[in-house]
Amino acid sequence: MDVRLANTRRLTLNEKNFIKTALLSEIRTDGRKPFEFRNIIINFDREDGYAEVQLGQTRVMGIVTAKFVQPYQDRPNEGTLSIYTEFSPMADPSFEAGRPGESSVELGRIIDRGLRESRAVDTESLCIVAGKLVWAIRIDIHILDNGGNLVDAANMAALAALMTFRRPECSLGGEDDQEVIIHPPEMRDPVPLIVHHLPIAVTFGFFDESVVVIDPTHNEEAVMAGRMIATVNANGDICAIQKAGGEGVSQRVIMQCLQLAATKAADITKQIKAAVEAYNKERALQMIKREHTCVDTNVKEGEDQTLDNKGISELVGKYMERLKLISGESYPSQNINGEIETKSLKRGTDIHGIKFSSTPLSWDPYSKGVDPEFLKASVALQGFSTQNKKKESSYEEKPSEAERPESYEDVNPNSSAVDASRIEMQMIGPKTLKDAVKPKNKRKKKGSSMI
Amino acid sequence: MENKKSSSPASFIDSTVVPGDVVLDLSSMTNQTIKLGGGLRQDCDAIPAMKAGTLRFSKPNKYWVESSQKRYVPCVEDTVLAIVVDSKADNFLIDIKGPALAFLPVLAFEGGTRRNIPKFEVGTLLYLRVVKANFGMNPELSCTDANGKAAEFGPLKDGYMFETSTGLSRKLLSSPTCPVLEALGKKLSFEIAVGLNGRVWVNAASPDTIVVVANAIMNSESLSTAQQIIMVEHLLKNIQ
Repeated sequence: MDVRLANTRRLTLNEKNFIKTALLSEIRTDGRKPFEFRNIIINFDREDGYAEVQLGQTRVMGIVTAKFVQPYQDRPNEGTLSIYTEFSPMADPSFEAGRPGESSVELGRIIDRGLRESRAVDTESLCIVAGKLVWAIRIDIHILDNGGNLVDAANMAALAALMTFRRPECSLGGEDDQEVIIHPPEMRDPVPLIVHHLPIAVTFGFFDESVVVIDPTHNEEAVMAGRMIATVNANGDICAIQKAGGEGVSQRVIMQCLQLAATKAADITKQIKAAVEAYNKERALQMIKREHTCVDTNVKEGEDQTLDNKGISELVGKYMERLKLISGESYPSQNINGEIETKSLKRGTDIHGIKFSSTPLSWDPYSKGVDPEFLKASVALQGFSTQNKKKESSYEEKPSEAERPESYEDVNPNSSAVDASRIEMQMIGPKTLKDAVKPKNKRKKKGSSMI
Repeated sequence: MENKKSSSPASFIDSTVVPGDVVLDLSSMTNQTIKLGGGLRQDCDAIPAMKAGTLRFSKPNKYWVESSQKRYVPCVEDTVLAIVVDSKADNFLIDIKGPALAFLPVLAFEGGTRRNIPKFEVGTLLYLRVVKANFGMNPELSCTDANGKAAEFGPLKDGYMFETSTGLSRKLLSSPTCPVLEALGKKLSFEIAVGLNGRVWVNAASPDTIVVVANAIMNSESLSTAQQIIMVEHLLKNIQ
């Protein structure tokens, strides 16, 4: 008890008075302007779905995991999303291990509302078997260091983790197509979540004499009279607003804050997307390296990737085999699930708008009939999709699937760097996907995963 | 670093020691009085170190272990910046960033009697001296120097306080003057009080001067002399 008393962070009267008087002249103690955010650093060191955000001195870690559950009764074909927060005592002397305090619950609720109410994460695509099996996405937020404004940092960490998270691909198979097969990541690339937009939380601190600041530090939070958290996305849509008690604020000030939040949200969205893209590139490069060790060729990173003739002909041989199977296949009606079967592939251009020249106009990976020889070939090579009944999981597969047939086509004309083209496809893939689309319409036509 | 236990203390001075290193052997030094500062303990004839850090020696006979941490370990005769937490009948309870709250006796002021006990609000910042600091007990402070005079101790008015590591606050108090303070002092006029417990108080005429000084000092922790001067110039340019 004595130790806790000794460890509590205290503010002197001098500090309080200084912060208030300095703010009257628009000076903040760390030299920022009133509407300036601190430096944001986003790290994705380890695996998919792990993100660490540093906002000045505040550090927050976000981890996303997924597992199978039964869906809720009233939403049988939607996955679930849940948020757990942990305020580690190493972040602040006032945090107690175990029982969540009031601010911890509030933080969890704000992030939850921002993601759920605005439908940022597409939950219908998380359904595997309607009414029986869905994916439950769990976001864990760990506060590592409290330097003020935990909500914004935690929100960013959650979004960054969601965007890099990949769940294992699963398909229905077995005798009566009722068994769910989860494909291990070595067999098939895990699939990212569909995130339609990024709701960014922006915190405003209100002080006396109608002074407003953005992104308060720990000291400013101890002095401020009220605060408001506006969750806005880059399009200017307001996803959530939280103002729990505190000093009263006029309507005009609130409108100004919301407009300011929209601008800040656009900046932060750009930063998050840039960081995620860099991470995805790294990841793709690592996948190339893995691939190359399988195929036993010498590949250097960068533009000029040349394979030995032997390696190439080996690859080419395999791909030719597959192509034959593709074009040889005549798939019966693919319209089991009606509109979703995005026959963009049929039309000779794919979702990404990249034309691929040749034949497989009738090839559709999501139809019922699968040639067993085809399956064998696909098992030998990584990640070729077989049948998939349910529309929901098809979306995530499509970007990765569509990329591969294109790379096969490219092998034929030019015998160089097969994997380079593959990588290219994969990198072009995510970029064009991002540029697209509104969720609902396009989902049915193109099945792109929006970020 | 030094694994051999040499009997001459000179081999350890200014080098890194870790807890357990015997830095002095008293059997070789007779008829000498030596003073042990923080981080050293007497174990019959041997003086082992208790903290990890650098062993320092100052003439004529003072030894201590120096290291930089965020938390402060109270040491006698240190001057610290303290915050009032509570006031009791006999003492004020004071926070000095140490493992326990410290006591400031109500009478430990110049000319202090039962009749003129000062009233400090919770959150007042005081500049005090450590009188007693024993392991396991609450440290005791005083608002006077050893002779009983006020000598600059007491409450600090206005200004802004920020926290640093103990190493940085020692650097700020060292002589010759720390490069950061020199560079700042050439262009700005300000007043500072540095507590060895890792707290610094700054006061100046205008708020932005205070902000610049505070940020300059906080940034100078791991910079060399030249880097510090460059950093200060950079900051000063921004406000002019």
